[in-house]
Amino acid sequence: MRRAIWLVLGVAVLAAPWLVPAVVPRQQRYVLHVLIFTALFAALALSYDLVVGHVGSLSLAHPAFFGVGAYTAAILATEARWSFLTDVLAAGLAAAVVAALVGVPLFRLAEHAFAMGTLGLALVASVVANNWVQVTRGPLCITGIPKPALGPLPVTTLPAFYWLALGALVAVMLLYQGLTTFRLGRAFHAVRDNEPLAAAAGIDPLKYRLLAFTIAAGLAGAVGALYVYYLSVMCPEEMTVGLTVNLLVIVFLGGVGSLRGVLVGAVLFTALPEVLRLAPTWRLVIYGGLLLLVVIRSPGGIESLLRRASR
Amino acid sequence: MALLEVRGLVKRFVGVTAVDRVDLVVEPGELVSLIGPNGSGKTTLFNCITGYLGADGGRVLFRGRDLTGTAPHRVARLGVARTFQQVSVFPRLSVLENLLLFLQQHQEEHLLARLLRTPRLRLLEALAVERAHRLLGLVGLAEKSNAAAGSLSYGQRKLLAFAGALMSDPDLLLLDEPAAAVNPTMINKLKDHILGLHRLGKTVVLVEHNMDVVMDISQRVVVLDHGQKIAEGPPEVIRRDARVIEAYFGR
Repeated sequence: MRRAIWLVLGVAVLAAPWLVPAVVPRQQRYVLHVLIFTALFAALALSYDLVVGHVGSLSLAHPAFFGVGAYTAAILATEARWSFLTDVLAAGLAAAVVAALVGVPLFRLAEHAFAMGTLGLALVASVVANNWVQVTRGPLCITGIPKPALGPLPVTTLPAFYWLALGALVAVMLLYQGLTTFRLGRAFHAVRDNEPLAAAAGIDPLKYRLLAFTIAAGLAGAVGALYVYYLSVMCPEEMTVGLTVNLLVIVFLGGVGSLRGVLVGAVLFTALPEVLRLAPTWRLVIYGGLLLLVVIRSPGGIESLLRRASR
Repeated sequence: MALLEVRGLVKRFVGVTAVDRVDLVVEPGELVSLIGPNGSGKTTLFNCITGYLGADGGRVLFRGRDLTGTAPHRVARLGVARTFQQVSVFPRLSVLENLLLFLQQHQEEHLLARLLRTPRLRLLEALAVERAHRLLGLVGLAEKSNAAAGSLSYGQRKLLAFAGALMSDPDLLLLDEPAAAVNPTMINKLKDHILGLHRLGKTVVLVEHNMDVVMDISQRVVVLDHGQKIAEGPPEVIRRDARVIEAYFGR
């Protein structure tokens, strides 16, 4: 029974480009656009959860890594005409290198100071994006990013991009699963739950924190690259601290440290507000209220409600 | 060569010298107890040996190798296992996972292999699971192996932490108050376990307040007071030592 539900859901997700026109013929482009956004946001939120949920470091720097990747991809695509795949790899690598460099000093800070330090990084990155006009073109944005192509296969239509985003999400999900279970996951969780005891077990806490932080940044950078290829433009507004708020809402309301929880969170807080046409003015108020409600009633997020229900 | 050699170790906190020029030599296979009133520097000494605190003077040698400035996880991987005074388990991991964690870094630490789960790694994991089950049987937690460690009783957690320290088959075992706040039946079990280790030729250093345990099982007792070593010798001598009695019962 449960297997059947998953199967139907999987097929529905894969076949969305055909299902959507059948269900909402007039708005199919808009709905597909929302679905692409949802997939990209889900991938980004999963990468964020590697740090927040699995090694327990409250990083607020994710927009910075997303932005480094996005700008790297945008610049390489427009100035150097790199191919799509090498561009995405370069974007991920650039973000990972930045994370590794800033991670060493940042992880010397205790919990709250670490959060402040990463917030500082996000703010600095945003300021740089706005003001380093020679490179980022500042508020004029980098425009004219060509449509991506997977080798000989051009990705020009919305359905094609939907499948590309879905493929990226699945790749991130597999990596997430591989990193957070078995021996790596166990070591991450040990560092999160009791650092001195983890050290007594021979685990180097700094190494594992840095590892999660760097991989998460690399993934965020790669998602950033996909994002600019989709929009074909990159502006500084895409990497403001507001992005962190969205990620925090998705991860904590969905279920911190849980693949299913974060996915559900991403769907609920990316797709639903669009579909329900929530007025932007009210969206933050509703998010705030929901966040309070979940923190008080169900600190494990929606995931813990799902777990209770399935028992 | 002595297994552990502490030479003139000094640790100062603001205004207090917690460990004051302490010497301690532990030979392979010995069972030594460290006793002393609260605040006499026993745990601080443990923390200096295992790298959790940097010493302000003196040296710690393990198998002749200087441990000064070595990070805790490196000390652990050299074969020094320790337990903590406050019960320390990973509450969100299962009982079995708690034990596996204490062996995995000693077996291998190849990140890519871990991600790919190579056949070699699966074999090592299987060996670790087997050892964990044996140790769980030894401490009487066999049927709890899938329970979350946080759901165990205080005494059971203590046993789990003890089993965890044994997972990597360490050369030196430092136990910080294993019998504190444990019920008498459990204390007897613990005593048996420690004596069993001793019979297997393991080297154990014990910080303990429970004098019955100390006097029953130790070969040698070292007494600290105000950070200084005030006496050292076999239990029967220590029991009658005037300075020890004074330190414990006042003058």
